[in-house]
Amino acid sequence: MRLPILAALALTAAAVGARAEDPPAPATVQDCLACHGDPDLSITLGSGETQSLHVDAGGYAHSVHGSALNCTACHPGFEAQPHPTVNTASRASFRSAFRDACKTCHLDNDRKAHDGVHYQLLAAGDTRAPFCADCHTAHAVAPPSRPRAHISQMCGQCHAPIVAAYRESVHGRALTDGNPDVPACTDCHRAHDMKDPRQRAWLLETPQMCGKCHGDPKLAAKYGMSDKVLQTYLADFHGMTASLHERKSTGGTRFTALCIDCHGVHDIKRVKDPGSRVVRANLVKTCQACHAGADPTFPAAWLSHYEPSPKKAPLVYAVKVFYIAFIPFVIGGLVLQVGLNLWRFWVGR
Amino acid sequence: MSTKAETVIRFSRRTRVEHVAVMGLFLALAVTGFPQKFYPAPGTRWFVDALGGIDAVRWLHRASGVLFAALFVVHVVGAVWPTLRRKAALSLVPDAKDFRDAAATLRYQLGTAPKPPAFDRFDYRQKFEYWGLLLGGSVMVATGFLLLFPLLATAVLGGQFVPAAKVAHSNEGLMAFLVVLTWHIFNAHLSPEAFPGDTTIFTGRIDKERLRHEHALEYARFAAGAPAPALTGRPMWALVTAPVRGALLVMYLPTLGFVMVGLHLARRVRTAVRGLRSRPEPRDEDDAGEPPASAA
Repeated sequence: MRLPILAALALTAAAVGARAEDPPAPATVQDCLACHGDPDLSITLGSGETQSLHVDAGGYAHSVHGSALNCTACHPGFEAQPHPTVNTASRASFRSAFRDACKTCHLDNDRKAHDGVHYQLLAAGDTRAPFCADCHTAHAVAPPSRPRAHISQMCGQCHAPIVAAYRESVHGRALTDGNPDVPACTDCHRAHDMKDPRQRAWLLETPQMCGKCHGDPKLAAKYGMSDKVLQTYLADFHGMTASLHERKSTGGTRFTALCIDCHGVHDIKRVKDPGSRVVRANLVKTCQACHAGADPTFPAAWLSHYEPSPKKAPLVYAVKVFYIAFIPFVIGGLVLQVGLNLWRFWVGR
Repeated sequence: MSTKAETVIRFSRRTRVEHVAVMGLFLALAVTGFPQKFYPAPGTRWFVDALGGIDAVRWLHRASGVLFAALFVVHVVGAVWPTLRRKAALSLVPDAKDFRDAAATLRYQLGTAPKPPAFDRFDYRQKFEYWGLLLGGSVMVATGFLLLFPLLATAVLGGQFVPAAKVAHSNEGLMAFLVVLTWHIFNAHLSPEAFPGDTTIFTGRIDKERLRHEHALEYARFAAGAPAPALTGRPMWALVTAPVRGALLVMYLPTLGFVMVGLHLARRVRTAVRGLRSRPEPRDEDDAGEPPASAA
């Protein structure tokens, strides 16, 4: 029983070995490290910047690729001496020479990245825009979610103020504490095909994004939250507007209150936190962002994600119950009258 | 039907114009209102986009609503002013005879009376519909303005009035639409007497024969050469009591609808009981949720 499995394993191992020894014999990692293991190995680029050519041997050995890939898997042709020519005019041109290394194996993520805002910036000539190695690192590639807090650190390399605000948020603090349920940057923005978050079409998807966790009864029970926040939002004026709004990518970002307009985007606080935008003391100010001139009675027009009940909103509840009884009462009565009328006519014939 | 050409004038031009206006505005309000009420329904977003987007739909709805409110005022003033000057009678004010007529019609329909009662200028069904529109319209106009000016509404009335107005506006609108769909469309188009459509409200004229058949008391007066009945009694008092009696009529007629309410409530109770049985520890919604901030 175990024999065929062992045989299969052996065959696979042989195949991998054979691939590694295909002619022309690629340089082993050790061959490359003979030079690139030197921490001082560097070149001076045309722009005057210094570009290190050092590869941390330990970092690579412990990376996800360390036990499977030779250097030449990503740097094909570099087994030859001298190495193929690389445009060393500037850091940007040097980096771009290695941009396509990952897609040989990771084609799906590469294609997703082509739909992402970073690639669009890159294509438009913005050399600051990151590609694979900027987030995943080039050689010490680790599984991206171990630990998850690592994700926000990576984004923070460029988006420092946003990540600083996020770290102080209810989500960010929990992420730092190792909580697996809170969103890291990529849970909302996605990892490869992230869209420009200022686009209206994307903004209109944000309630569903928040609702993925905040509409989940399991998470709600775990953290003592309400799981009705999304449905109560959608049932109200703002949510209905968001549901019906045209999904076009142009247009301003202010058109109706989305989750983020009241609760904040990256700096979301616990709703009871004195610094929260939606705590009673601050709520008028939050409303006034759109409803200029709102006075302190105005926030009471919003039922704070509660469904009307005799305790929370007796008037709203009473009106609701009245119509639940009155509409069938009236329409039922009229349909009966119509029926009687027709029956009489039929009998009369 | 031999006297087909012989018609008499039933509605003034003003009444006919008001009917066309309310018809157009009612349709415009329904078309722009229901996508907002039933926003998750399939095709709603497509429909809203076809009308030019939600902002355009809202603009149309509000503009139509303001015109409806204006029409409402014009109509009420147009009914009240001549009454005060004793130039017209309130022929649509319900009276005891309407309730007797409703019962008599029911007896006729059930076969215990040989023929339906004789009606005057407006029968109880027409009065019911008129007062339903008037009272329902006043609810729609009042709640519509609350929703149009939420800042003012909360400052003057208090916060809860805005969501309450939204619930009322949404449900009252649905009810008005359903009443028109079942009652008006039947009485004006599908009923055997009116099929395929009663044109009187558009032409202002009614066949003499139909008048004799459907409004026998008015026809008798007409045949005797009497003018329209002059207002007797105190006009002010009539104007005060008319809405009350109109409301009574609107509330009274669909008594049979109680059956529906009974069934509905029974179903709800049964569901609730079943829910309690299957869930030994029902979660208290108010305590379980992370209380939204302003509930603190």
